[in-house]
Amino acid sequence: MPHQCVRCNTFYDDKAGEVMQGCKCGGKLFFYIKKEKLEKIKAMTASLTASEKQQIEKDVLDIMGEEEYSEEPVVLDLETVRVMEPGKYELDLVQLFKNEPLIYKVDEGKYLIDLIRSFGQRKE
Amino acid sequence: MMFHTVNNFINRFFGALFRKKRHIKLGLYGPPNAGKTTLANHICMDWLGEEMGKVSHIPHETREIHVKEQINIKSGGKELSFNLVDTPGIATKIDYEDFVRAGLSAKEAKKRAKEATKGVIDAIKWLDDMDAVIVVLDSTKDPYSQVNLTIIGNLEARKIPVLIVANKVDLKRASIKKIQAAFPQYHLIGISAKEGTNMEKFYESLFKVAK
Repeated sequence: MPHQCVRCNTFYDDKAGEVMQGCKCGGKLFFYIKKEKLEKIKAMTASLTASEKQQIEKDVLDIMGEEEYSEEPVVLDLETVRVMEPGKYELDLVQLFKNEPLIYKVDEGKYLIDLIRSFGQRKE
Repeated sequence: MMFHTVNNFINRFFGALFRKKRHIKLGLYGPPNAGKTTLANHICMDWLGEEMGKVSHIPHETREIHVKEQINIKSGGKELSFNLVDTPGIATKIDYEDFVRAGLSAKEAKKRAKEATKGVIDAIKWLDDMDAVIVVLDSTKDPYSQVNLTIIGNLEARKIPVLIVANKVDLKRASIKKIQAAFPQYHLIGISAKEGTNMEKFYESLFKVAK
């Protein structure tokens, strides 16, 4: 499945080294995109300005509850929460209610599902 | 004899401890601007004498989970104790331009949109913690929305008891019948949280659902 760097919007294949180690722009946050949605996403993000991309990256980190950039690359499920442009969001409620984690961490070349962050964070 | 007395004391002490009411978690869920916080405020004013949160005509005023602990309500000689959980409105699309049209600056509107998105994710994460849920719907709006159907369908799948509140019955366009027709198998009560209409019946219904 393709991935898109949240910072510079470059697309990468699933097995690309950049997804494992970080994008060439320095970004370590990626959107995970289904192949069938790739063209639509490319068209959607083509018109974003550099400052809009920067804002989206900041907003996504806020939504994730991350204060600082993680050391390891982080892949987000774009199918569930889609940022169209700063301030415009689309949420897939069916997926969200499935309680599937929104965030996938890349660690030593493997995807690890970050269950603690996705499920445990806000429990009393 | 001494042993018997001590044993009686232990039984009474621990019996009293375990007879203490368990505080069930009662969640308020629904689409934005249905009146969840207005209802939460009404419940809190009635039983605690203080409000719970701020309300606004601009959608997504509540963007964080709010919990009011230990509310004891009494109705028909019965008593119910619960923690009330007010949640952000659940939406499929959040667009800052809607908030700009409502009078916010672009900067404020974008911040509100981001926080509202996080709020939706948090509200859904909290759902599994709920013992019972009040789904607050705006009775002037079409009940067959994706948000309403998804919330109620998921509560049913999780076997969480549901009370549907058809709010804003004081408005002319309100139709409780439409909501009842959309969700015929549920307890439903028409109220106006703002005007306090039918609150007594609402509390009676709450006892039936949150047992």
